[in-house]
Amino acid sequence: MSDLTNVNFDNMTAAQFEDYLPDLFASGDGKVSHDPRFATFLAKNPDCAALVNDLEAIAEHAKSLFEPTEEPADSVWSNIASKLKGETQDLDEPSGVIEPAAE
Amino acid sequence: MGQQGLLTTPPAKPNPGLFKRNPPIAGEAEAIERAKNGDADAFSKLYALHKRRVYTLCLRMLGNVSEAEDMTQEAFLHLFRKLGSFRGESAFSTWLHRLTVNLVLMHLRKKGLQLVSLEETINPSEDDAPKRDFGSRDPNLAGSVDRVTLERAVASLPPGYRMVFVLHDVEGFEHNEIATMLECSTGNSKSQLHKARLKLRELLRQPEALPPIEGSKEVAQ
Repeated sequence: MSDLTNVNFDNMTAAQFEDYLPDLFASGDGKVSHDPRFATFLAKNPDCAALVNDLEAIAEHAKSLFEPTEEPADSVWSNIASKLKGETQDLDEPSGVIEPAAE
Repeated sequence: MGQQGLLTTPPAKPNPGLFKRNPPIAGEAEAIERAKNGDADAFSKLYALHKRRVYTLCLRMLGNVSEAEDMTQEAFLHLFRKLGSFRGESAFSTWLHRLTVNLVLMHLRKKGLQLVSLEETINPSEDDAPKRDFGSRDPNLAGSVDRVTLERAVASLPPGYRMVFVLHDVEGFEHNEIATMLECSTGNSKSQLHKARLKLRELLRQPEALPPIEGSKEVAQ
């Protein structure tokens, strides 16, 4: 990956900037738009600034996908309970059926 | 259930940083301890608490309802067998998700899909790769991305990109963890994540072209 130690961020090209981006996003808090080292460059390169803003927006919105929206079919638990019953007698209930708990 | 080491190993001190995105759930710790001792009700409670997250993770990684349900089943069966080894060093959710990811990756490798086994093969074809595109500033995505559209766009990503994006940006795994799971370098993980975000940028600019997700109960938000 890129060695950013001796890079002059004010005078780099847009292509160089894109090459550095994976490392820049992976370092610190991943907010390139807030990094004062790039303020001058981004002010002079609005396309790069737009790219950074979009990529940061995507990363931010991705966090909203963490909360689940999908639910497995009831048969998934039935299969699990059935297999577990075969593995251990400890899970046997008087009725022989393990009901999924309510959340 | 396996209880090896439980009585002899002192509980590890949790790292608070690991719990940022997975705060403890009320009643979870007690259910874990009871389930370790073979309590069926406690295990069914753990299933109820985590089934949606595990299933959603499987569905995102596999893109197929039937396979996602099979892997959810496998994940919880594996959880049952391995629960005794959970020592609380990370959030239970994180531990369970890592277990699930590893099972899904193993499943994909068994299927012969090498996209996650060799560094170079997680790179998609040139057609799927994001274009170098600095010339188009509009539209700005910041205020226009909704959850359903992003979900569709993620589902449309090439598998290698989708895997890294889901693991890093959605699940919150670090690049070094992803590199270990995918058997690639951290540099490759960073690079794939960047390409995934670039590809998503392209896809989100034309949301009308995104296909619906199989088996998803999409609700406009």
